[in-house]
Amino acid sequence: MKIKDAQAPVARFRGRFKAYARFMTAAFLVNVKATLEYRVNFILQFFGMMLNNAAFAAFWKVLLDRVGKVGGYGFSDVMLLWALVSSSFGLAHIVFGNVRQLGRIIMEGSLDVYLLQPKDVWLNVLASKTIVSAWGDFAYGYIVLAMMTGTELERFALFTALIIPGALIFAATFAAVESLAFLIGNSSALSSALTEFMLSFSLYPEGVYGTGLRWMLYTIVPSGFVAFLPLRVFRSLDWGLVLLLYLVAALYVGLSYGLFNLGLRRYESGNRMDARL
Amino acid sequence: MTAITADRLGKTFTTRIRPTGRFSAARSLFRPELRCIEAVKGVSFEVEEGELVAFLGPNGAGKSTTIKMLMGILQPSEGTARVLGLDPTRDRVELSRYVGAVFGQKSQLWFHLPPSDSFRLLGAIYEIDEDDRKWREAELVERFGLAPYMDVPVRKLSLGERIRCELAASLLPSPLVLFLDEPTIGLDIVAKREIRQLLAEAARIDDTTIFLTSHDMGDIEKVCKRAIIIHHGEVVIDESMKALKHRALSLKHVGVRYALPVDLDLPGLSPVKRTTLAASYEVDTRKHSLAEVVRALASRGELEDITIEDEPLENVIASIYATKSGTEAQAFGSQRGETETRTGEVIHE
Repeated sequence: MKIKDAQAPVARFRGRFKAYARFMTAAFLVNVKATLEYRVNFILQFFGMMLNNAAFAAFWKVLLDRVGKVGGYGFSDVMLLWALVSSSFGLAHIVFGNVRQLGRIIMEGSLDVYLLQPKDVWLNVLASKTIVSAWGDFAYGYIVLAMMTGTELERFALFTALIIPGALIFAATFAAVESLAFLIGNSSALSSALTEFMLSFSLYPEGVYGTGLRWMLYTIVPSGFVAFLPLRVFRSLDWGLVLLLYLVAALYVGLSYGLFNLGLRRYESGNRMDARL
Repeated sequence: MTAITADRLGKTFTTRIRPTGRFSAARSLFRPELRCIEAVKGVSFEVEEGELVAFLGPNGAGKSTTIKMLMGILQPSEGTARVLGLDPTRDRVELSRYVGAVFGQKSQLWFHLPPSDSFRLLGAIYEIDEDDRKWREAELVERFGLAPYMDVPVRKLSLGERIRCELAASLLPSPLVLFLDEPTIGLDIVAKREIRQLLAEAARIDDTTIFLTSHDMGDIEKVCKRAIIIHHGEVVIDESMKALKHRALSLKHVGVRYALPVDLDLPGLSPVKRTTLAASYEVDTRKHSLAEVVRALASRGELEDITIEDEPLENVIASIYATKSGTEAQAFGSQRGETETRTGEVIHE
């Protein structure tokens, strides 16, 4: 029996897009349901994460009240920086919850279930989980935004438009380093280091970094694209630059996707007992 | 029509040799010693559409590796595979629309959610029209008796209930070929029987090609019509279940108990177990006439009891598994598979 697909390219693309949109929506809803299955845990993690972030806000408030500005950033700049990074980071882990488990899944040979389904493996594996505490991060950003800028609709729209490429860049970067598990077996140390670097560098004013370090922040540890550039765009209300961020995000996603699929050729399945959580 | 073709399929894995000796661990960091392991060596077979095939072999024989190559999870090192006319490695995504899989040890259902949620997501993954999905789900729920479990989180289901749901989930996209790897592992007798019935029924109703690996002879005997036995990475037996059973039927276990002690040795046939009054014999009916053996035993003294049993199929397969190499296993298989009946050595008192 020979199976053939005789659809025209445009119709095929439209069909693929609709199919993936349906899949991503269904995966998201299933993940939300799985999260809400343990309501108390959800509430604890949600508010726990917001409290954790708020503690840093208190720290910055005390510091900036004493010294005025750090690296050219005042308190409202730092808070908006936190809001952007927090919501982007949260969104990345809500939609692509497996992003920091990818290396372990590869190392343990647990990609089989995803390889057997007619969906892109990279997208399927990343989207098949959500991280509970990430909802706290995501919401924190919007709360800070409301506190700093009020309820102006355009600001909310721009903020939302900015955290989407931020989330994509976070997810693509983490997924890329996790994909190194195909080559080096265990990428957990590298992955932890990159996560720490990216978050730490993103949460301090850009002015504190020297020129050499800034190069790194716009390439291998792209804090510049998830924090500093979005903050500048937000401050200047420059919608034109938003497009640039989407292009950068597409580049990071493309590179990460390519690296994963290159490594996938080296994948060796395992016989571990698995459940989808 | 051919559903599955494996043509000289082989897979070699490279593994690191664990270093021994002083400083060897440090040395191996820079110059690791590698070893090639041939997991599958030139396996060839064809499976026709609608066939029910058991793919057997001991642990480490290469069963799972072969199945994974057929499903496109692993890339073959040599040879080619075709499933439904597609190359599993190159056309994996396309093929996955028409092929289902049930792994006893891997779940495709969300552990914390009821099966109904997983079914909905699987509908989106396999791009089944929502109305068709609902209709198909309702049909599977009825056929598999899943109504009481559809809204219970998977973690709260028993293993048997979960596997039933797994099987139904894998049939949701109406696959043309269904691969099953140890689907009844860990199940009790009743649950195993249910799963076997459902599998046989699925093959009959949906006309699905079934390719099953299992260590459970019950699964194989009750579900499959043909057996392919793989050992040391090579196919050693490929024949119908009927022929395989015939191998078992040619060996009979005869047990006797006498009222008084007698000479238990027969010409050309010694007991495999004996006590003063009882003995048991393995009678190869291709060498000895069973009637003659029974007559000879009856003539030895006053019989209190006599039993005649077929050799379990499990023993035949265990004997093949016990061989040291693929060639030895093939030779063993063909030796036991001789179908012509030879009754030259008739026992006479």
